Amino acid sequence: MTAKSIGSKQTILVVDDEHMSDLMRSVFRQLESEGFNPIAIVPDGPRVTGDDYETHTLFAIENESPAAVLLDVRFGEYDTDRFKGLSILKKIVERDSSMPVLMFTQYARGPYRDTAVTGSLSVGSSVDFIDKLASPEEVVLRLRRLIGSAPKTIKIGTLFELEPENAVVYAVNNGRHQIIREIQGMKLAILNELASAMYRSEGEVVPFSRLERFSDGEDSRASLRVRIRELKVSLGKAVARDFGATELIINVRNRGYRLVPPIE
Amino acid sequence: MSTRIFSTLKYAGLFLAVIGLGLILLSPFIGEPVTPDLLWWIEPVAYVGAGLFIFGAIVGYVSVKFNSNSRAGRPDGRTWSQVTQDYFDTFAHDMGRPLRRILGKQREARALLNETGEVTQRMVTELLDEIENQAPNFRLMIENVRVLVDLEDQSASPAIEPVDIAAIVRNVSDRYSPIARERGIDLIWWCEPSEFGLVYGDGSALDHVVTNLVDNATKFATHQIEIQLTRNDSSYSVRVSDDGSGIADSYLAHVFDRGWTPELSARSEKQSSGLGLFIASTLAERCGGDLIVDTNQSSGDKTKNPYTRFTLSLPVDNRS
Repeated sequence: MTAKSIGSKQTILVVDDEHMSDLMRSVFRQLESEGFNPIAIVPDGPRVTGDDYETHTLFAIENESPAAVLLDVRFGEYDTDRFKGLSILKKIVERDSSMPVLMFTQYARGPYRDTAVTGSLSVGSSVDFIDKLASPEEVVLRLRRLIGSAPKTIKIGTLFELEPENAVVYAVNNGRHQIIREIQGMKLAILNELASAMYRSEGEVVPFSRLERFSDGEDSRASLRVRIRELKVSLGKAVARDFGATELIINVRNRGYRLVPPIE
Repeated sequence: MSTRIFSTLKYAGLFLAVIGLGLILLSPFIGEPVTPDLLWWIEPVAYVGAGLFIFGAIVGYVSVKFNSNSRAGRPDGRTWSQVTQDYFDTFAHDMGRPLRRILGKQREARALLNETGEVTQRMVTELLDEIENQAPNFRLMIENVRVLVDLEDQSASPAIEPVDIAAIVRNVSDRYSPIARERGIDLIWWCEPSEFGLVYGDGSALDHVVTNLVDNATKFATHQIEIQLTRNDSSYSVRVSDDGSGIADSYLAHVFDRGWTPELSARSEKQSSGLGLFIASTLAERCGGDLIVDTNQSSGDKTKNPYTRFTLSLPVDNRS
């Protein structure tokens, strides 16, 4: 079996007998480009069966402590292995129900998922299903959400970086990070909300009701508008830009606000 | 179909058996005994009656046996519906194989071009984009056919489970955002309350309805698609709006018809099979909700923006 670990990157176990295919190579590439360390499960031997994948996967989970497992449903060329992935999933969940598993299926939902849910999953299991034809970006996005831990850094395009844990925003210029000290308190909380939504899903709008917690005064909507304007000015000043109404933080009429990575 | 045939045979067999029994009983009164000394049952009519009775009984028995097998399942306990689904899974898997290869090659080619920094001809980039963008269409097409097979099974009922509907909307949005972006369309979504919570429903069906609505909006939007998720104590709704040119009143009644697409009226190339909205509407109904459409067609009046809005409304808890 091949296995390697690099630094402190989060390891993702990839369990798929077609891991050398072009389609899977693009997933590996995307995982690496987003800072993960993907490891393919590759059992040795002339006649590899689904059982071999199962054994090697469970062994690797013990030894590599992966952050998540990317698992295919169908394995090998033998009819008995047609749904081996579901059996492997069951074994993983039995041993550690908190292990995030993203399953490749023909359908994101449907019979495989129903079988898996009926057979081995509870509501609390960190298991999700995705079509194998999904784009590599979508696969990694779903994996990230499944792993669930808040990221140490959220990149807002190439110009800004937010570190939620340290409550710091950086302006990035030619690889140099400069702290934007003006953004603190409620302004930082608002930026954190917007950046987290953007990190979760590209098109997510944060409704006013959620952001108005970080504003004060009688007219909380107006107060929020002022803070957002101040936030945009502070961010713009740090990179010598003047962000317009349709840039960076966009007001979606009657709905809320949305963070959009600025174009450099 | 087979159920109907077996049922007909069963009643035909029963009918013949009853006629046969009647002839046996009536034979002493309507026929001439071959041998007067013996009992009535050797009368020729009794032979005919006995023959009909035995034949009818056999036909009836065999029909009942086959019919119960086809309904209750095969020897391995699976119903015919499950067997059909199983075959379809294999079919879909094999049909997806060439597409996975094409997509894989396309993504490798794109990565190579990005690495080398080569300036590519516009046609090449367009081809790569087209292959990537057609993948969700293909995914949805396969899924639509699978759901159609499901819908044929009248005895099937929704699989009710706790569902994170906000996650479903988020996933669908993520899937279609790159396609929308490619077409110059901004796809946004939001939910109110922002901590939406779980609902009870058929997650698979809900995913499929929302996917079809967003897929439809992606085809017709001009600049923006909005997915809006709202709830009250007893119900929730998913509204998918696009700012396309709207639907003419004369076509509104046909929007949920099977096989209808707007291009039919324009005689232009069809962008879809016309199954999506039909399936979405049927699934919504099966899940105990409804799907409605309202639209404002562009009429040259600049004060009225055109739009089309599909609203799916469902009970928060439809376990009962």
